[in-house]
Amino acid sequence: MRFFIKSSLFIIFLLFSVSQILPERQKPQYSDDELRKVALSRNLSSIPSDYESLLKLVDTEENRLNKAKVSLGKELYFDKILSYSKDISCSTCHLISKNQNDKTIFLDALTSKANNKTDCVVCHLSDQSGTDRFESAIGHEGRENSFHLNTLSTLNSALAKHLTWDGDIDTVEEQVGHSIEDPTQMSLKADEVTKRLNADSKYVEKFNSAFGEVNFDNVKKAIGAYLRTLTTRGDYDRFLDGDNSAMSKEAKKGLANFINFGCSGCHAGITVGGQSIQKFPVRDYNSIMDVTNSFKDEGREVGHFGFSAGVYHAYPFENRGGFLGKDGKQLFRVPMLRNVTKTSPYFHNGGVSKIREAVYLMAKHQLGMSLTNEQIDEIVAFLKALEGDIVEYKVLDKVEL
Amino acid sequence: MKNIHMKIYIILMFVSGIFQLSIFNISWEYFRMIQAVHILSSAFVAIFLLVPYVNKHTYEYMIVKKAKSTSGVILGVLLFMIIASGFYLFLVGNPGSDILGIYSFNIHLYGSFILLFFLFSHARKRKTSTPLVIMLLLIGTSYPNISYAKSSDKLTNIELEAGVDRYHNGDWTSSAKCKSCHEDIFNQWADSNHRHLVGTNPYYMVMENLAGEDMGDEFRQWCMGCHNPSAVTTKQKRTSHGMNGNFMPNVLFDSGSKNLIDEFKTHGNSRLEEGVSCITCHRITKTTSNGNSSYSLDLTNRKKYVFEDSNSDIEQWLSEKFINANPKAHKESYSNKLYKESAYCASCHDEFLPDSKKEVVSTFKEWEKSPFNNPKDPSKHKSCIDCHMTNMKDNKFSPLKGTSTTGGKIKDDIKVHYFSGSNHFLSGLKNKTNEDQTIQLLRTSAELDVDIKDGKIVVGVKNVGAGHHLPTGVSDFRELWLDITLRDKNSNIVFSSGKLKDDGNLNTDARPFMKIFGDENSKPVGLLFWRYKNLLSDTRIPAGKRRVESFNIANFENLKHPLEVVVKLNFRIYPQWVTDAVRRAYPQLPNPPIIMLEKIQKKF
Repeated sequence: MRFFIKSSLFIIFLLFSVSQILPERQKPQYSDDELRKVALSRNLSSIPSDYESLLKLVDTEENRLNKAKVSLGKELYFDKILSYSKDISCSTCHLISKNQNDKTIFLDALTSKANNKTDCVVCHLSDQSGTDRFESAIGHEGRENSFHLNTLSTLNSALAKHLTWDGDIDTVEEQVGHSIEDPTQMSLKADEVTKRLNADSKYVEKFNSAFGEVNFDNVKKAIGAYLRTLTTRGDYDRFLDGDNSAMSKEAKKGLANFINFGCSGCHAGITVGGQSIQKFPVRDYNSIMDVTNSFKDEGREVGHFGFSAGVYHAYPFENRGGFLGKDGKQLFRVPMLRNVTKTSPYFHNGGVSKIREAVYLMAKHQLGMSLTNEQIDEIVAFLKALEGDIVEYKVLDKVEL
Repeated sequence: MKNIHMKIYIILMFVSGIFQLSIFNISWEYFRMIQAVHILSSAFVAIFLLVPYVNKHTYEYMIVKKAKSTSGVILGVLLFMIIASGFYLFLVGNPGSDILGIYSFNIHLYGSFILLFFLFSHARKRKTSTPLVIMLLLIGTSYPNISYAKSSDKLTNIELEAGVDRYHNGDWTSSAKCKSCHEDIFNQWADSNHRHLVGTNPYYMVMENLAGEDMGDEFRQWCMGCHNPSAVTTKQKRTSHGMNGNFMPNVLFDSGSKNLIDEFKTHGNSRLEEGVSCITCHRITKTTSNGNSSYSLDLTNRKKYVFEDSNSDIEQWLSEKFINANPKAHKESYSNKLYKESAYCASCHDEFLPDSKKEVVSTFKEWEKSPFNNPKDPSKHKSCIDCHMTNMKDNKFSPLKGTSTTGGKIKDDIKVHYFSGSNHFLSGLKNKTNEDQTIQLLRTSAELDVDIKDGKIVVGVKNVGAGHHLPTGVSDFRELWLDITLRDKNSNIVFSSGKLKDDGNLNTDARPFMKIFGDENSKPVGLLFWRYKNLLSDTRIPAGKRRVESFNIANFENLKHPLEVVVKLNFRIYPQWVTDAVRRAYPQLPNPPIIMLEKIQKKF
């Protein structure tokens, strides 16, 4: 009996003392300038504010940008002519407004006599997020994406190395073709596209001046050209460009966390993501004993064991749609985090609706860390700094590079 | 050896028990831990150690050895009573009205002293066990405290407790949690306007979005200070609404706040409940009555029992048992004398533009100047809750007798949480009781009189029931008007006023009692009420005052008498043009009905 009491007391003592004994890992502290230097050295960079620098990033030999192409692409992006039933345009799902200077979009939608906007669009158009914020994409005749995948933002997409959730697509032009032809999206065949556009003298003229003729390839190039100019700049970009006051103190801490914890390892480059294909979740947390991290609130210091004897889940949220990523191996294109705070719900099937929960899950399953409330606050503040407004470039007729 | 163990157990239970007495006044962090340890370990010890031991001991001495011990018998009976009352307190609790609960509490408390006395007189040898007791106590009390988050930044007019600059989702205990013990109150609140101030209120969502577009996103905080304190204090930039897959859940017609309850079931406290929740009002510690969310919150210094924040079902069940066993600290944490005073409501029911200080809503100031504010004569003094939180029956105030907690004390006047005001419409879509309470209250507000003199219909409207103007609140968006029909001998309509146009808007001849705001150019502001610079008109009726409207009857001399006049005092919560705008974003929104508050019919 005495032995029993003593040993149980000892065990209790051990359990409560271990977390106090282990040393805390020192996290580096940066000054603003150091932080910028570190960020830039880790390949994070700002979106250029002038057209010439943008061209260096997005202009390709296959699709040289010029004013005619970009304005034709913009016209097509907002035109419902490209959908089978002529009821949706690119901008129906990739929600942005045509005139960025119009600051009374919402008031007009509420009070105008005629209204051609759906109820969601009425409020959310002013978000300018490039996506519809649905859980799964809806296209022709209200058809949902067969894998319950949600719409990705078109903003900054041309700067990504891979596109779509599994990263199978490499260029925006290629994806434009898919989106138009896909039966769950705009559902219009290539030859029908050319037929329709050829019947419209306004488009024939514009295509002639931009390309010489109307064909499906040129449609893809025109819209691709517009997408290549569709970038956003926000507080984060101004900070990287040298303005220390652009980002709040909390957001700067968040950026430091973002780099130190390893987030920026995958969410890399100018688009803060979209540059590589990675596994999600990295660790299989379905094993009987979950030691990945049910860690104490202090962070990555000490773990305690948890048991997860439930059914197998591919993801730490409901696997609606059954999508298993590239080759069924849970490989995903790392999502771009620019404007992420405007694009809830999160993950490929919209399984998580709040940004804080998404941040927590990513840290837990990709990094093996259990973030504290404060760490999440800081990272969310940083993600808010990634929000940006669409840059209005002065697109030139032709540029010699 | 075994005897001494049992004694130590009993002493430990006793000590941990009496530490909970209020005379010790120990800090809450220790109290809650001691309570949980006391309850759980006592249950364990009683079932697995004490009862088997007492059985064996009694058998050994009284049956086998045939020993006679009075103190032993008393001890046994006492022990039984204390264990039984302890389990009663644990499993059923002592919420107030339950007589067995009260008995159990007293037996458990006083019995334990007697037990201790007989324990020592029963035992033959006295061995000191102090070192072990102290050691175990130290271990018990040094149990790590659950700490709450603290970090930094500043907010609008809401003040938080010292040392806390923002809250996190987990600090905002979901109202759905309160339902298990305060079901009636929860259900009243669940369909009330205080519950539906944000994501489930189409008018608010549209207006906040509009304010964001017109004034910049930062301006949303002005709205959110009162409408969405949980979002403001967790530093959210805007109000959000729930989604169910690709659809917005049915927020207009769903009664009992099902969405909130479901969300609490799946996400626990980690998902923020936006809007004015139970603890928003019940954790306000101070108000300055200046309007524009001028209140102080304190969410972290409340007394939480062990496992109160847990998401596990068993632990939550236990936490409820812990509260019920000794609910005093819980009660004190969520009530305050301040809550009965009108000044408390003033922190949000007065509203002014932050830059120009122009008053948009001044309900509290109106009340201050009204005869209802009469602290010298308590029989005439009526505070906000005397009308807005008192039950209505048969168009009269009829205080509800009952309990506010399941099994709690019976009170003569339960302060009902329907929050009846004027918005019968949105709560009425969900729940007819809520709608009924509001309409009954509205109908106590005014009296009509009518006369025909010198070719004029003269109508008097007296504000007899409201301790503020009629209408008050956002009275630029309220319609209270006279609907008049005059018929001659042959029942032909010879005069009418205050009818609706085909599009649902009020005809221009109507004279609604309202405020009309104008912008800097003295043009009506329409939806954009934050552009208010000049007051164009104010035709509201102050408390206790009578307002007279007279209408010229054309061709009066030639009318065939007797004339019959019907005057109705009509109320519509939102003008048609406001509903039309909101419906663009919420197509399922029906038209608010017109409520007839008073009617008078007279022949001349």
